[in-house]
Order: sequence, then structure tokens, then C-alpha cells
Amino acid sequence: MTGTITPVVAEVTAIEASLFVFVVLTALATAFARDVLAAVIVFGAYSLGMAALYTFYRAPDVAMTEAAISAGVTTVLLLLTLAKTTRIDHEAAFEAVNYPAAGAAGLLFVGLAITMVDVPAVGSPDAPVWSNPDVTQWYLAETYAVTGVENTVMAVLAAFRGFDTFGEAVVVFAAGIAALIVLRREVFA
Amino acid sequence: MSVVDASLAGGYAVGDFLLVVAAGFVVLAIGMLYRAVKGPTMQDRVLAVNVLGTNTVVILAILGAALSEPTFLDIALVYALLNFLMAIAISKFTVERGGVL
Repeated sequence: MTGTITPVVAEVTAIEASLFVFVVLTALATAFARDVLAAVIVFGAYSLGMAALYTFYRAPDVAMTEAAISAGVTTVLLLLTLAKTTRIDHEAAFEAVNYPAAGAAGLLFVGLAITMVDVPAVGSPDAPVWSNPDVTQWYLAETYAVTGVENTVMAVLAAFRGFDTFGEAVVVFAAGIAALIVLRREVFA
Repeated sequence: MSVVDASLAGGYAVGDFLLVVAAGFVVLAIGMLYRAVKGPTMQDRVLAVNVLGTNTVVILAILGAALSEPTFLDIALVYALLNFLMAIAISKFTVERGGVL
């Protein structure tokens, strides 16, 4: 494969727009829910929508991680934390807006939105990833011959930098064991 | 040429139609979100999030068909499992406090 890949500039489709609305609504509900358990439940819905969005953008590995970590592990860990502490029942459904915190979040949003102008469009030929076409094309052309993996991103993660990923897996494994040990001690103390 | 590329009326392919259907399911999910946020009981919220998860599985399956990416079905399966785990964990938490797993 020697020819360059022609980039496709994406437009916002109906499914993207509806997913954006869903994600923003769930994020706002998580932030403003007065009851902690309700916030945990709605946060699970948020991560499901986020993962669907990642899947639509052809990043199934990110979607899988988002679903497993955010919807699965985080929900269970937050519930365990709630079970070990106390949950106060509230009459009001929504938290009153904390204006200094909302102002800080707004400033952060504005700061991030300013940088969005400089982000290249999806598939843009001016994107930094194309600044060294020889390297990019080598990976796209040779990945299957070298590693036997069809997906280039997967090949980089699991083959070209396999030891790095192995180290990450060891860290996650250790964290899981540590969490289990801590819980076991509190349960049987 | 797959089924997805077959043209319907007005020059639109089956894939376009499936994308619109998926967007419709997302709109339904936004409607279901009302129940998840409003409650009033925790059981309502658990059930609403469970329906949302099932909805996501359906959306992913439709997207997989519309975009001709069969691997999306694997993600849909992982979702179905995680959705079950989440519903069980929250349900157990609301029934017997402390018993999450």
C-alpha cells in the first residue's frame, strides 16, 4: 500500500447530535443530583452513552475500556465506598448550585474551548499525525506483515509496545488485589 | 455490495436508514433518562439504567449493521454483561446495605 489515505472530513450526524444531548444531560444530572446513590446510577448511564459515542467514532478499544472501567468497576467501587460510609437521605432531588465552583468549572470549560479552535478537523491532512508521513505509512503498510494483527492501533498497543502494555496490566492487577485485600479486612475485622 | 448499500426510496441507502433508527433509539434513551433522574425511588432508577443499558446494546448492534462493522457486536456483548453486573450491584446495595458483590 503506497498511496496516501484520503481523509474524510466528518459532519455532525443525527446520531452524534442525539448522543451529545444524552451525554450532556447525564453529566449535568450527575453533577446536580442531591442523592449520592442517584448520582452513581446516572453516572453509569453517562458512561454508557460516552462509550456508544466512542464506538461510533470507530474507537472500539476505547469504548470497551470506558464500559469496563467507568460503567463496571467505578460503579462497584463507588457503591462499596457508600456501603462503608453513611448515606444521608435528602428531601430535595437536586443540589443547589455552588456558584464559585460553577464559575471555576466554567473558566476551565472556556480555557479548553479556546484550545479546540487549534485542534485539526477529523481526518484533516494538516493533522500532526501526518507531519511525518514516512513513519505513519510504514506502520499502516507493514503492521500486518510484521505482527499479523489487522488493526494498527491494536498492533501498536499489544505488539510494538507490548512490554509497556504488560506493565500497565501488572499495575491494574496489583491495584485490584490491593482493593480486594482492603475490603476483605474491613468486612472481617 | 452488501445489503447496507442497497438503495431505498429517494436515493438513501439502507445504512442511512439504520443510522436514523439508531438516532431514534438515542432519543428514546433521553426520554428514559427522565425516569433515571426523577426517581422517585431507587428501584425506578435501577430499572431505568437497566433499560438504558439494553437500549445501548440495541444501538450498538444497529450501528454495527449500518456501518458494516461486525466487531461492534462484541462490544454490545460486553455491554450486556456489564449492564447485568451494574443492575445486580445496585439492587443488592439497595436491599442489603454493604452487600455489593
